[in-house]
Amino acid sequence: MAGRSEFSASARGVSNCSTQSYLCRGDSHVFPSSPVLKARINEMDWQGQKHAEMLMQIFLVFSAVAAFGAGYLMHDFRLMMLIYAGGVVLTALVTVPNWPYFNRHPLKWLDPSEAEKHPKPQVSNITSSSSSKKKASKNK
Amino acid sequence: MHSAVQRANTAATIAAILLATICAAASFLDAFNSPSLQAHVQVVKINRFRRQLDGNDEVKMTLKMSMDLTSLFTWNTKQVFVFLAAEYETDTNSLNQVLLNYISFLYLLISISFISVLIYYFFFKVSLWDHIVQEKERASFQVKVPTKYPLIDQGTNLRGKKVGLVLHWHIMPISGRMIQGKMPLSNFSLPDSYTTRS
Repeated sequence: MAGRSEFSASARGVSNCSTQSYLCRGDSHVFPSSPVLKARINEMDWQGQKHAEMLMQIFLVFSAVAAFGAGYLMHDFRLMMLIYAGGVVLTALVTVPNWPYFNRHPLKWLDPSEAEKHPKPQVSNITSSSSSKKKASKNK
Repeated sequence: MHSAVQRANTAATIAAILLATICAAASFLDAFNSPSLQAHVQVVKINRFRRQLDGNDEVKMTLKMSMDLTSLFTWNTKQVFVFLAAEYETDTNSLNQVLLNYISFLYLLISISFISVLIYYFFFKVSLWDHIVQEKERASFQVKVPTKYPLIDQGTNLRGKKVGLVLHWHIMPISGRMIQGKMPLSNFSLPDSYTTRS
């Protein structure tokens, strides 16, 4: 999962909203925000992802079992395929987009202003001090 | 599972695996279908029994058939291919290159090991008529029809031969392996001489 700007942004402690859209700028009270629009822009949180994955598996297995049962009872193979395809499409609609229902426990990221007050420790200082320590021990 | 594309990929993979599972389950349940079909065939008349110009015997006949194949159809059946085969045996001294049954091939291997045996024993199975049945409603029928394919022997062995008729079927399912079966039907004897001179 490398290479996405959200992850590097979250490592820096800033907001994980990758776009400069009106929903992230803080003036979303001005514009209407439907769930479809929110789904296209916001991401899911961790609890939402787990919930979405569980829902996906349950929906798919249930639609496969229901399709097989209906096809076997109605003696119709085509009916089985239709019910299964409908179940797959329903699962994709419910699970794949980032519905706001899956974003009810969002993580509280650090404010950019707060992050600047606590800079990350510099790694180069440590290596230079350890190398000087090594040199001192060698000389002894 | 962070992005929508990853979730779509996961959903598609699980959906494909489950699709394979339900197709396998449908095919597996086919094995419990024990077909019980009835068929009856009768040779109405021998239209032509002649010797061709290249030395082969040829028989064309009219058959009257009635069969009921509905018990072969399950919900997983796409079509049933049924054909009528004429089976007969020949003894011949010449090596024929055509249409060895696996029994006769085994016999050939055994006979080659004994060099003194010079008589080869062949068992031929020639298709006379076939039909494709695609719906269960049309699986029970009666026809009186001349044979689609003539009974041609590679040689001149058909005079006075006793020929057995066997009904074979291939059930082609929508998902799964093809199922074959056969049922021997009545026998008949060919006349001792050609009915028309070629």
